[in-house]
Amino acid sequence: MSDLSARLGATAPWMLWLLPLALLPLMLSAQRRAGVPASAAAPADPLSTAIGRTIRFAGFLALAGLIAALSGPYRTGARITRIGIGAQVSLLIDRSGSMNETFAGRQPSGAEESKAAASRRILGDFVGARPHDLFAVTAFSTAPMLVMPMTDRHGAVRAAIAAIDRPGLDYTNIGRGLGMALAQFGSDVGASRALVLVSDGAAVIDPRIQDQLRAAVSRIRPNLYWLFLRTKGSPGIGDRPAGEDTPQAAPERHLDLFFRGLGVPYRVFEAEGAEAVAAAVRQIEALERDPIPFVEERPWRDLTGLAYALAALGLAVLALAKLAEADFASAPPADRSRDGAEAASRPIREEAA
Amino acid sequence: MNLGPSILPVVARNLRDGRFRALACALILALAAHVAPPLSITRTGVAVLAVVDITGSMSVRDYPAAAGPASRIETAKAALRALLPDLPCGSRVALGLFTDRRPFLLFTPVEVCADFAPLDGALAALDPRMAWEGDSRIAAGLFRSVAMAQEIDADLLFVSDGQETPPLPASGGPTFDGKPGAVRGLIVGTGGYGLSPIPRFDDRGRETGFLSETDVQQENRSGPPPADAESREGYNPRNAPFGARAAPGTEHLASVREPYLKRLAAETGLAYAHLDGPGGLAGPLLAAATPRPLPGQFDPRPALGATALALTLLAYLAGPLQRRHRRVGPNVQRAGPIST
Repeated sequence: MSDLSARLGATAPWMLWLLPLALLPLMLSAQRRAGVPASAAAPADPLSTAIGRTIRFAGFLALAGLIAALSGPYRTGARITRIGIGAQVSLLIDRSGSMNETFAGRQPSGAEESKAAASRRILGDFVGARPHDLFAVTAFSTAPMLVMPMTDRHGAVRAAIAAIDRPGLDYTNIGRGLGMALAQFGSDVGASRALVLVSDGAAVIDPRIQDQLRAAVSRIRPNLYWLFLRTKGSPGIGDRPAGEDTPQAAPERHLDLFFRGLGVPYRVFEAEGAEAVAAAVRQIEALERDPIPFVEERPWRDLTGLAYALAALGLAVLALAKLAEADFASAPPADRSRDGAEAASRPIREEAA
Repeated sequence: MNLGPSILPVVARNLRDGRFRALACALILALAAHVAPPLSITRTGVAVLAVVDITGSMSVRDYPAAAGPASRIETAKAALRALLPDLPCGSRVALGLFTDRRPFLLFTPVEVCADFAPLDGALAALDPRMAWEGDSRIAAGLFRSVAMAQEIDADLLFVSDGQETPPLPASGGPTFDGKPGAVRGLIVGTGGYGLSPIPRFDDRGRETGFLSETDVQQENRSGPPPADAESREGYNPRNAPFGARAAPGTEHLASVREPYLKRLAAETGLAYAHLDGPGGLAGPLLAAATPRPLPGQFDPRPALGATALALTLLAYLAGPLQRRHRRVGPNVQRAGPIST
């Protein structure tokens, strides 16, 4: 019972201040009044008393039902935590200017698709393919930008992904972007966490930030995926530079080494075309198949209809009572004496002459 | 016994009774409210691209608040978050950032009711540290924001303090080559009217004091010099066309540049409103934005229920009211039957 009352609510609770009006039928009646010289003269009649009480109660029910219905009563839905298949996915998307070029490193022309447009299309399909995935979107160029915090509202996530093929900004500052993307994972445990980096290049990460990232990764322990959109002819992840092997000379290779050294599950996908990107995303989807707790809202129930039904019941009794009402004032006395059933249906009162 | 002949006239008479009719109407209305489906109607909502200036001058703390002065960006964020519940459901909001000379679209329009939580979270996460450049070329950014709003079929809500950094050259700023009024919307002037110091930050985002007069460019010395340059000290047409001395000025202090923003608003056909505190954007925005038809639902039940309630109360109160009326009336003969 306490559970039920805790789950009841009203959209316009102030209407309930009118509820005392429902007691009006105890004092007033919608029936005709007829004066009698002495009500004690009438014999006790249990049937009349019962009918009178029924009419009063019907009036109470009608008024209370209408007032309750106007307040918009409802029973709240419960939030139930269930286990589904999915993951918390933090997408970290490169918005540097080069993402707007094709995989061949040119400005897209005609039917050609830029790297950003291909990612937009493929990631857009990824979001919402499984109903219980949670997504966060972070963009980075010179500075990291939180686009959409971790959410299960896939429409909003797709709106964020729809913006990624807009003209990008200048540079690729990957370190701070990684920090912000890691910060999107909530503190709740038990969910599978995946950090998906989508970029077409890499950059040197400041050693100071490297330490911060190592600390964050060892705390959050996400699965790390790097979707490297490689432009044709540009150095790949495995390529050693001709000269000195420094992070400045081969940032991609050294970022890969940094990720490998983090001690968390890590996969890199080198995609040189939209098809390869789609294949990589399918693989990520297949790998991230862990149980994830999700909250299901049991729908709330609108009780307004029920209140109107009760009010209609009360009103129906009132209207019938009104219809079957005898009129002692204007009915001829002969009628009255004959009409035993009618007279019995009300408290018998004699008219004052 | 035979009741027929005696009941029929009674029923016929009762059918004409006012209180019976009131109760019968109330019954019909209550039954109608019980079964009535929501009616489909067309409501008006808005689709708006909010572009927020996140340049350095937006960190100025010149909004009085309970816990010390609040910065412009915090106040603007609070106002935008307060705006969301004031928009009709079905309205959509996109968000962009502005620094340097261009807006950066974070996401395309998102519905304000169903997707309220992520939208609110994204607004709460706006931070001046997201800025990718330090310059603040308001006019260029505004014009490109207008174009962006047109591309995503939305109105524009441009939140800025109007302080150009570097200052506009003497020859004036860029000119708007779009069609004024093609995109409707609102420029929101942010900041106090008095001059306030601008905080400065180190490369790790920590505040380290305020900008001083020599930290910022006080005069834009690109392009031709202004007309009064000849009268300046040390003027030399070839070697010192802007005079020999560094220009003094107040560009290191910030106030809302309202006349400039109003001029830009007039140029682009947008409306202008000043942000007076963390709220109050809904009114000016809804007045300035294009009303967009949205499928909506109208619930007829409250209207039906309220009428039924009024009729039922009338049926109960008609007797006492009429008796009272008769009592004060001139021809009080007897307390006769009431047949209202």
